[in-house]
Amino acid sequence: MALTREQMVALYRNLVRADQYNRMMYRRMMQGKLIGFYHPAEGAIAPGVGACTFLNQDDNLSPHHRGHGITHMLSKGIDIKYYLAEHTGKETGCCKGRSAFHFSFPEHKVYMMSGFIGYNFAPVVGWGFAAKRRKQGQVVMNCSGDGSYGQGRAHEAMLMAQNWKLPVIFFCENNGMSIFSTAAEMHPMEDISSLALGFGMPSRIVDGQDVFAIAEASLEAIARARAGEGPTFIEAKTLRFNEHDIGTPDLAGWEERSEEDHAKMREREPMKIATERVLGDGILSQDEIEVMEREVAAEVEAAEAFADASEIARPSVEELLDAVFAPQEI
Amino acid sequence: MRTITLIEAIREAYQEELRRDEDVFLVGQDIRGAIFPHTKGLVEEFGLERIVDTPIAESGMYGVAFGAAQEGMRPVCDFMFGGFSYVTFSECSVTTGQYHFLHGSQQPLPLVITAGVGTGQRLANDHAMSIHGTFAHHPGIKVAMPSTPYDAKGMFKAAIRDNNPVVIPWHMGIMMLKGEVPDVDEDYVVPLGVADVKREGSDVTVLANSLQLQHALKVADKLEGELSVEVIDPRSFVPFDMETLLRSLEKTNRLVVVDEDWESGGFAATVSARVMEQGFDLLDAPVIRVTLPNMPVPGGYMEEYVAPNPERIEAAIRAVCA
Repeated sequence: MALTREQMVALYRNLVRADQYNRMMYRRMMQGKLIGFYHPAEGAIAPGVGACTFLNQDDNLSPHHRGHGITHMLSKGIDIKYYLAEHTGKETGCCKGRSAFHFSFPEHKVYMMSGFIGYNFAPVVGWGFAAKRRKQGQVVMNCSGDGSYGQGRAHEAMLMAQNWKLPVIFFCENNGMSIFSTAAEMHPMEDISSLALGFGMPSRIVDGQDVFAIAEASLEAIARARAGEGPTFIEAKTLRFNEHDIGTPDLAGWEERSEEDHAKMREREPMKIATERVLGDGILSQDEIEVMEREVAAEVEAAEAFADASEIARPSVEELLDAVFAPQEI
Repeated sequence: MRTITLIEAIREAYQEELRRDEDVFLVGQDIRGAIFPHTKGLVEEFGLERIVDTPIAESGMYGVAFGAAQEGMRPVCDFMFGGFSYVTFSECSVTTGQYHFLHGSQQPLPLVITAGVGTGQRLANDHAMSIHGTFAHHPGIKVAMPSTPYDAKGMFKAAIRDNNPVVIPWHMGIMMLKGEVPDVDEDYVVPLGVADVKREGSDVTVLANSLQLQHALKVADKLEGELSVEVIDPRSFVPFDMETLLRSLEKTNRLVVVDEDWESGGFAATVSARVMEQGFDLLDAPVIRVTLPNMPVPGGYMEEYVAPNPERIEAAIRAVCA
């Protein structure tokens, strides 16, 4: 599925946004201006952008925790300033400042996150079930890492999605690492997507550093799902430039990742690869890219200003107790 | 009024709610063929889209309910046996209970979790354990259990209509218990969070539920003329109707809590502590609990004397009144 110029510009713009938001989050974590932890996305910003830029507002999305789902959510049209406010404990946060790092944008069908890796595999079956029952053509973009496919519930979700031909895309962002352990040690097969074979689910592997290749594969899978043809497995082979989360050592197994490894990884920097492509194909000029970068910088700055100007959420215990259950009329 | 069994009452609740609301559906394992009779014949009336069997994959099965509830449907997830819900416990307790609160109280999560529980079948721990106390420990989940056919029908209907996750197991020891319920299609609900004084008395209050409620009522009848026993069915554990219990204690000043859960960390402990905090001055004697001893529920014939039973309840009543 060849991309149009307009689609390539949209992808490139979201990639610039993903890159700048990730750098902002990294900086703020180092400055002590984020609550909790941050799992930086440098090197792995392309999969979320490629998978999510062409989703509709009423498609379901479960973002990957890498980069805290920001690359995915911004691509789906979600205003990240409310998530940043959440991550700074503010009243204006998307979860009213009470969740640390969770996100919830129900109007965009990004319902939840959980600290349990692989939690996504249970609800995605239900979203797919509801989409199919209601026949309104929604698809479910289910993004998670190679590590999450160790969970039994991943296999259960694939089993049921394929049994019922649910419109779920199993989008695996394989960076080869789960904290310190390598996918090579933790999975018997080189490709996580080989799991799809056992369920008779179509699968494909894409270069996770190439946002355009990812988008092409995603558009095909989305079209299949919308047409009622069932789930697709996409494995985006990507990279994790930083440590797992800021502050943990940068190990593979129990040994430091080497400078050579890092140098080799950074040759495959997704922003660089995309820039060469848009310049080479004459999609964008250097001037246009610079304008875009300035506009995005202003957007990120405004998001920070919004979060910083918001009040810290300090509701009373009574108010919080009142929020545990949904009222009958919501 | 007609007389039907508790399990038939649950079936009627499903049937009426499935007819009333297109978004209601049932998901479980082998519910089409009715492994327990509360789903008997439902697939014939409502079809495969609404009476849904899944593979033996509890996380995926519960995921159908969880995700569909986020999408605004009203699923009932049947785990068959209560202990089987623990296979996917992170989803059905932690992730479920925190969903509404932690995500800014934006979205309801209208789903029902049910299963058969309890002693009486000699099946041993994994098929016999109670789950109400464990779920009641996790905030954000309502927990209730019916003791009579009337309550079963009304409470299951209330649970399905509730905007929150409701865990409502039913006790296998009373599945064939008969009782009066209103005529078919005479719509009624028994609201969650309201206890019921099943028998009035003045000397001692016994709080008991499901099979143990039946035991407590028998003991109360036996002691008639000697001790006047008030028997209260909490019906709901979360929310819990403390007011009804305290009102009873104003009259009786003595409390026995019967709970078919373990002694350690069970709901009986919660009730006892709350009574101490909120009703200490009402008590003439320490609260006594009748619970499962802290061992995995044994199967075979041991169940009869290990689980709470009428003899143990009577002994507790006599002790608290001594």
